[in-house]
Amino acid sequence: MNSQPIPFFVRFRNIGVLVVLIVLVAGAALLTPQNTFIREANLKTLLALGPEFGIIALGVGVLMVSGEFDLSVGSQLALGSLIFISLAGAGVNIYIAALLTCLLGVGIGLLHGLVVVKARIVSFIATLGFMLTWRGLTEILTAGKVRSYDFAQHETFVQIFTGRVGDTVPSQVIWFALFAIVLYFVLHRGRFGNWIYATGDNVQAARAMAIDTHLVKMACFMIVGFLCAFSAILQTTRTSAVTTHAGTGWELQAVAASVVGGTSLRGGRGSVIGVFLGALIIMVIDNMIVQARLPYEWSYAAFGVVILAAALLDLGIEKQIQRATA
Amino acid sequence: MERSIQPKAHEQELCDDLEAPYASERMVVTQPAQANGQELLKMVGIHKWFGRVHALRGVDFTVHRGEVVGLCGDNGAGKSTLIKVASGYHAADAGQIFFEGREVKLRSPKDARALGIETVYQEQALCPHLSIARNIFMGREPTTVLGLIDQQTMNEESMQALASMGLRLRSPHALVSALSGGQRQGVAIARAIHFKAKLVILDEPTIALSVKEVREVLDFVRHLRDQGVAVVFITHTLHHVFSVADRIVVLAHGCNLVDVYTKDTDVDELSDIIARGTLGDAAPTTQHAR
Repeated sequence: MNSQPIPFFVRFRNIGVLVVLIVLVAGAALLTPQNTFIREANLKTLLALGPEFGIIALGVGVLMVSGEFDLSVGSQLALGSLIFISLAGAGVNIYIAALLTCLLGVGIGLLHGLVVVKARIVSFIATLGFMLTWRGLTEILTAGKVRSYDFAQHETFVQIFTGRVGDTVPSQVIWFALFAIVLYFVLHRGRFGNWIYATGDNVQAARAMAIDTHLVKMACFMIVGFLCAFSAILQTTRTSAVTTHAGTGWELQAVAASVVGGTSLRGGRGSVIGVFLGALIIMVIDNMIVQARLPYEWSYAAFGVVILAAALLDLGIEKQIQRATA
Repeated sequence: MERSIQPKAHEQELCDDLEAPYASERMVVTQPAQANGQELLKMVGIHKWFGRVHALRGVDFTVHRGEVVGLCGDNGAGKSTLIKVASGYHAADAGQIFFEGREVKLRSPKDARALGIETVYQEQALCPHLSIARNIFMGREPTTVLGLIDQQTMNEESMQALASMGLRLRSPHALVSALSGGQRQGVAIARAIHFKAKLVILDEPTIALSVKEVREVLDFVRHLRDQGVAVVFITHTLHHVFSVADRIVVLAHGCNLVDVYTKDTDVDELSDIIARGTLGDAAPTTQHAR
């Protein structure tokens, strides 16, 4: 092979992502008024709220590696929260309620997967439909009102999901890290992970090697469904309430986190570490805008620019790879 | 001098489907070449319909152990369909398939692979963004006791498999997108023989390759034959197949047209037959001096 060496930041993409994150954190620390970004109170809030998004982004990243999208994650979060709070309110044991919510999430993921692989509706469109369906259903069931439930009576449960470890680190961070580690082993070290990559990279090649690409894609949708349900439990437990617009806009933020983390929009490329860092970047940008006291609408513009920039960068990197190997 | 491939008048009905538009033509097949070796794959009277299209009209196809068979024919002749039946992608609508003397049913590519039939498709074979090792073991990854991928075994065995093809690549971690077209074919073929294929089907392996890469691929085919693996080599380019094939089978309009030893024919004769899609001597082009 007489190929040129691949440029450092192309080969070690994640280091590039990490550098962006560090620059962003430093910038946020310096530029927010009175440096509120790095105040302890803000960091604790960031680390408690952020993982709710980050956990979902991890699932979306894995799904994107398999070559599919899920634009309904925000709606799944809202529906999951409503189911969980309704079950808890109906007096179901809180752990059983959590388990049922997760199972329902997996079921929703299975439905998404079936519609995409069996009915052959492009996932972008199929999950756009489900985004509206689940959101609408949540609105109908709540009649647009906030539902609340007092979780204080389940002390251990609250401690497990939204407590603190060693009085400082929010439990949510531990869950986020835990899911990242599990998904790392699934995607990078396990057989199934290789099938996910193969399915996303060249679905015909995967099929020719007897990989059940339908099963792979359905499983990825189910992973997303499960993580959305889990995140719904975290969020509901933290806020003790469910609002119909929970998770609005997260579907694109999750895509942004994945793309920023080096996941290809065409599937077959990406890493859990990259998505993990990408999610942190999105979390920091989101928090920065609040701390800089900019109107929230700014975040839309910011994420739009981030997605575009990341997609452009990705194109450039793909070209670099091809040039290095031509 | 007489043409070496002679139509046989009494075999007029080789195209089983008499209602077919081409049946009225003189679709005649030569005497199938008799190979010395044992029959490995034998397909008899294979029919395949796609809706109203009769893609295969009673095709017979045999491959012997360790034999390299060139499968030729114009576009739409039925080469790919026949190969997809042999590799379990399409189920035949009629006909029988024998492998190593036993009748088999191929319901999926898995069935074919379990028998030792591996198919290498030109564009579909590999995942460009995965490493060589991960491509070779795609779908059959070895695992450690913990259920994780055994990367070390994968790396070592893939380098061995490549070396057995005479292909020396720098690292099992290199991405397939970093390889030349010829090297990619080598990786795909190495994958097939690593999993003990008895028959490797190469679908247009030399299409879109440079001259040097074509030579590489033809060398891979010779390596396969040296290891006793039978090869079906599908191509449009007769020159490529002539340099490696022991026998050449030509299909036309979903029927057998020619089955001949490479040594008994030449490129001009065969390309003429393929272009006309018939052996009949009615066409003036057959009258050229030979």
